[in-house]
Amino acid sequence: MLPDDSAEQLRAEHEALIQFLYLAPVGLVQASLDGEIAMINPISAQLLMPLSPDGCLTNLFAALEGVAPGLRLQCAQYPRAQGMVFEGLHIHLRGAENGKRAPQILSLTLLKLDEARIMAVIQDVTAEVRRERQLRQSDAWLNAILTRISDYALVSIDRLGRIVDWNESIARVTGFGEHVIGSPYSVFYPPGAMTPEHLLDRLREADRNGWSLDEGLRLRADASQFWASALIAPLPDREAFGIDDPQAPAYALILRDISDKRAASEKRRQAAFCDHLTGLANRRAFFEAAELELERAAHTPRLLALVLFDADMFKNVNDRYGHPAGDRVLVDLADALRDSFRIVDTVARLGGEEFAVLLPSTGEEEALAGAERLRALVATRLVASDAGEIAYTVSAGVAVLAPSAGGERDAAAGIDDLIKRADQALYLAKGRGRNCVASWSSGLSDNEDIPKRSRNAG
Amino acid sequence: MTNAIPSFDTPGLADLLDASSQEQLDALAFGVIGFDADNVVQRYNAVESQAAGLSPQRVIGEPLFTNVAPCMNNFMVAQRFEDAAEQNSELDDTIDYVLTLRMRPIKVKLRLLASAGGAHRYVLVQRR
Repeated sequence: MLPDDSAEQLRAEHEALIQFLYLAPVGLVQASLDGEIAMINPISAQLLMPLSPDGCLTNLFAALEGVAPGLRLQCAQYPRAQGMVFEGLHIHLRGAENGKRAPQILSLTLLKLDEARIMAVIQDVTAEVRRERQLRQSDAWLNAILTRISDYALVSIDRLGRIVDWNESIARVTGFGEHVIGSPYSVFYPPGAMTPEHLLDRLREADRNGWSLDEGLRLRADASQFWASALIAPLPDREAFGIDDPQAPAYALILRDISDKRAASEKRRQAAFCDHLTGLANRRAFFEAAELELERAAHTPRLLALVLFDADMFKNVNDRYGHPAGDRVLVDLADALRDSFRIVDTVARLGGEEFAVLLPSTGEEEALAGAERLRALVATRLVASDAGEIAYTVSAGVAVLAPSAGGERDAAAGIDDLIKRADQALYLAKGRGRNCVASWSSGLSDNEDIPKRSRNAG
Repeated sequence: MTNAIPSFDTPGLADLLDASSQEQLDALAFGVIGFDADNVVQRYNAVESQAAGLSPQRVIGEPLFTNVAPCMNNFMVAQRFEDAAEQNSELDDTIDYVLTLRMRPIKVKLRLLASAGGAHRYVLVQRR
């Protein structure tokens, strides 16, 4: 038996250790490989409780399922006996419903300790990510300048984005001849990769920031494509070219062929912005794209459509054919979505069997037609599985933000409202018997809350 | 005034707790954390101390939502008290929650109590 003062010392040390863990300013969780929680500290509960669909914290993966699907799979597929499954994974939350100071982005690190245990570190990184996004833009800009330029096309464009003159460099990089003068600079973009509104957005962003940079596929005159970085900068002394002449050069567009660097930059992009299972945009990419699109629409009002897709009776597919087959159905649906929409549209997996497509400069009729096309396409597809071919269907809800006659936006101003409306339309489609597309109308009240989980039943 | 020991869901519990001695708080079957308008913990009973593994002297005088129970610092708990204080209204609500007592996830019922004006506020904890 321990002497009294030694037992007392042990007790005090134990208490200090417990308090140390209570006060740790990051979330720490120890769980089994299936996510069953063994140990958890208070910050974890603070961050996870608002997300937990069933209001308990018995399973880490279940608590995060709604915002980060596929963690269980990723953990199960991790090939090594121990090590980092992933580090600093960003998880985007739907913040607006949960109060003004609620976290928007969590960072999750998952460490496999051995064949029985994992350790998770969870942090609210909302403020850091905002700062980082600004830095990333500056980085891209420096990179564009400092990377050794082997060849580039230098194109002068006017204030409406039309090409003002032609030179040898344009021919070298793109193959376009003199006839390109007078065309909008979107001639260098593949079909579906640019809208007239985006064309002007880039010019406005260049005015505001001093430059606008993007990377992506570009088109040569012979219709072949190449991976390019495009920098637009306002000409410093453009007033000298004539303020009144709308065809005077106003911006320089520098187009560089960086096909050789594409693999590296794509890999970086995929790790951060792609859904692990389907390769579509993840929640983070979706919310960033939506935020940018709304920001642009706030400046120059335009239409913006959102379609939410949900695989019908998906639980039955999982129950009957097993989760691996269910995953193949999700991958098939993702392929169909990717093939059906334009490059400029953001096709994302939001969670579970729920997908979203954001369509810039698109009205209700077009969005409905796109959704219907996808629905009909899916109804013809079969997915192979061990237990035979699987037929499946999807339902879709469409919502559109439209500028009103006065140029003011209607009541649904944020992405959360747009999602809510598309969600209500989707609920309507499910109610009509599934395999069906519905559109939001003001008859579906903005205030009427549909229980989030109710339609997940099918 | 009754002499019966109050239970977790006794109506008007805040006034009874205000009037209770430390011994009376310690005799209760549920956890009691009392705190003031600045969120500083003023009262802490034996059940809560035992469940959390912290002695009262480590807790009393500390800010509740940052240093004692960070797990409640979100819109489900802390913001409820904040909103009630902002609107100068009374708060008496019971919610299901999970506390991380001694780093184990423990399902509990929390009763959130605040008088209008918010000078005396309580979080009561009962296991479910």
